[in-house]
Amino acid sequence: MITTHTQPKGIDLRIDGLHKTFGHLPVLQNLTLEARPGEFIAIVGRSGCGKSTLLRLITGLELPTQGIIYLDGTPVKRLPPDVRVMFQDPRLLPWQKVDRNVSLGLERSARPKAHLALQQVGLASRAKEYPAVLSGGQRQRVALARALASSPRLLLLDEPLGALDAFTRLEMQQLIEGLWHELQFTVLLITHDVEEAVALADRVVLLEDGQIATDVSINLPRPRSRGSGVFAELVENLRSRVMHHPQSPQSVTRELGYRVA
Amino acid sequence: MTTSPTHSVTPSQPHSSLRLNPIIKNYLNKLTPWTLPLLLIILWQFSVDVGWLSTKILPSPTAVVQAGIQLAISGELLKNVLTSLSRAVTGFLIGGSIGFILGLLNGLFPLSEKLLDTSVQMLRNIPHLAAIPLVILWFGIGEEAKLFLVSVGVMFPIYLNTFHGIRSIDPGLIEMGKVYGLKPLGLFWQIVIPGALPSVLVGVRFSLGIMWLTLIVAETIATDSGIGYMAMNAREFLQTDVVVFSILMYALLGKVADSFARFLEERWLQWHPNQQLSQV
Repeated sequence: MITTHTQPKGIDLRIDGLHKTFGHLPVLQNLTLEARPGEFIAIVGRSGCGKSTLLRLITGLELPTQGIIYLDGTPVKRLPPDVRVMFQDPRLLPWQKVDRNVSLGLERSARPKAHLALQQVGLASRAKEYPAVLSGGQRQRVALARALASSPRLLLLDEPLGALDAFTRLEMQQLIEGLWHELQFTVLLITHDVEEAVALADRVVLLEDGQIATDVSINLPRPRSRGSGVFAELVENLRSRVMHHPQSPQSVTRELGYRVA
Repeated sequence: MTTSPTHSVTPSQPHSSLRLNPIIKNYLNKLTPWTLPLLLIILWQFSVDVGWLSTKILPSPTAVVQAGIQLAISGELLKNVLTSLSRAVTGFLIGGSIGFILGLLNGLFPLSEKLLDTSVQMLRNIPHLAAIPLVILWFGIGEEAKLFLVSVGVMFPIYLNTFHGIRSIDPGLIEMGKVYGLKPLGLFWQIVIPGALPSVLVGVRFSLGIMWLTLIVAETIATDSGIGYMAMNAREFLQTDVVVFSILMYALLGKVADSFARFLEERWLQWHPNQQLSQV
């Protein structure tokens, strides 16, 4: 009897003692992080803390100065095929129509998957148009469809919603959460928006001075109600932590559904 | 149940007496640019008829047209136009290909740029028309000399614009292409070439202008065929109307070449945001 080993839909990510130095500038120092398959992790931190560098190291676009990144137990090779990135700007090819953009890098036979991905982001009707006629939010949705079209097992999101207006951002957050819930890939979301991080992630990780400074598990039930006091307090505490303000004594001792590592 | 009147905003119709049919408006828009040239031509014809302008200085428009018709009937026009055209096109293809390939190489490979770019720039700054005596020494006064001149003239704008086009490709797109699994060849055909294309086409338009200019000058070097020959021959016989007609022929062909380049632009650059706007 042949037992088939079903691959979990998300990648198991393990980063071990990662160092990255540019010239004399150390960007990441002894960074250790783990993500279980299907986990949604948000990475917050101030500008220049090395968040984007971390993503580039995971995709293999850059090589670490020291340390290893493991995907499902094997060290990262350059540009692993199961990993997809969504950048801060849509980075669509202006000279190709939307459907061709979504199927970038896919073989001809896989084109129906591209169409399905467009449907999932709600833009199937715009498949035959050029990116120039779409709005910023629509372009980012196409970029999301492109990321999903190849059924990734690890999705890296590099501040993808930063350039969008508040309403579009909310819609996109719901869209991303919904698709993640359905497809169960592992997600690393880099964001400077603490509220976004708390709303979407299982864990929020603070990157500071090139290292993981805090690792907070968000145990709130989904879908997260942003209006609740627990939510707001959590966001505020994290925000204070990011900005180095001393935390109020009460919030540290109270059980609020989170643990500070 | 009373329904409250909705305040609707309707576009106000102009109440002027000139409420033009949009079709008529469209025609007027298209014809308006031509009213001034038409006026000038009428003025020109009138001046010659009345005697203000001597035919030795400038023949009347009708005389020029007549000369053209005669040349067309005798078959001379077609023969000379085709000769000039083939020289121009051949020179363009040769010079354009060299310029394009050089631009690609130097744009893509920093080593190639280090090796070749400075030399190319130095050559570029030599005005090729000024080197005509040297060219005649090297190539004589036959077809080779003319082709060489046109090729050299065409090469540099295309080189520069191809190089620039490749260098100004958004590196973010290349990075994205790599992440999404494109191999170097895929990156080249799907990102680099289409990305450089708008710049290359600008280079093509420039080169077409230089191509005609160079051809006109090259055809004054002892030639026995072509539009330039037609003009020089007519000058010997004081046939000013043929001379003017030849100039108009050059202008017409130049316009045709430019229109062709614009046609290419419109076809290949459909996706460009500026093109999209112009279609609205």
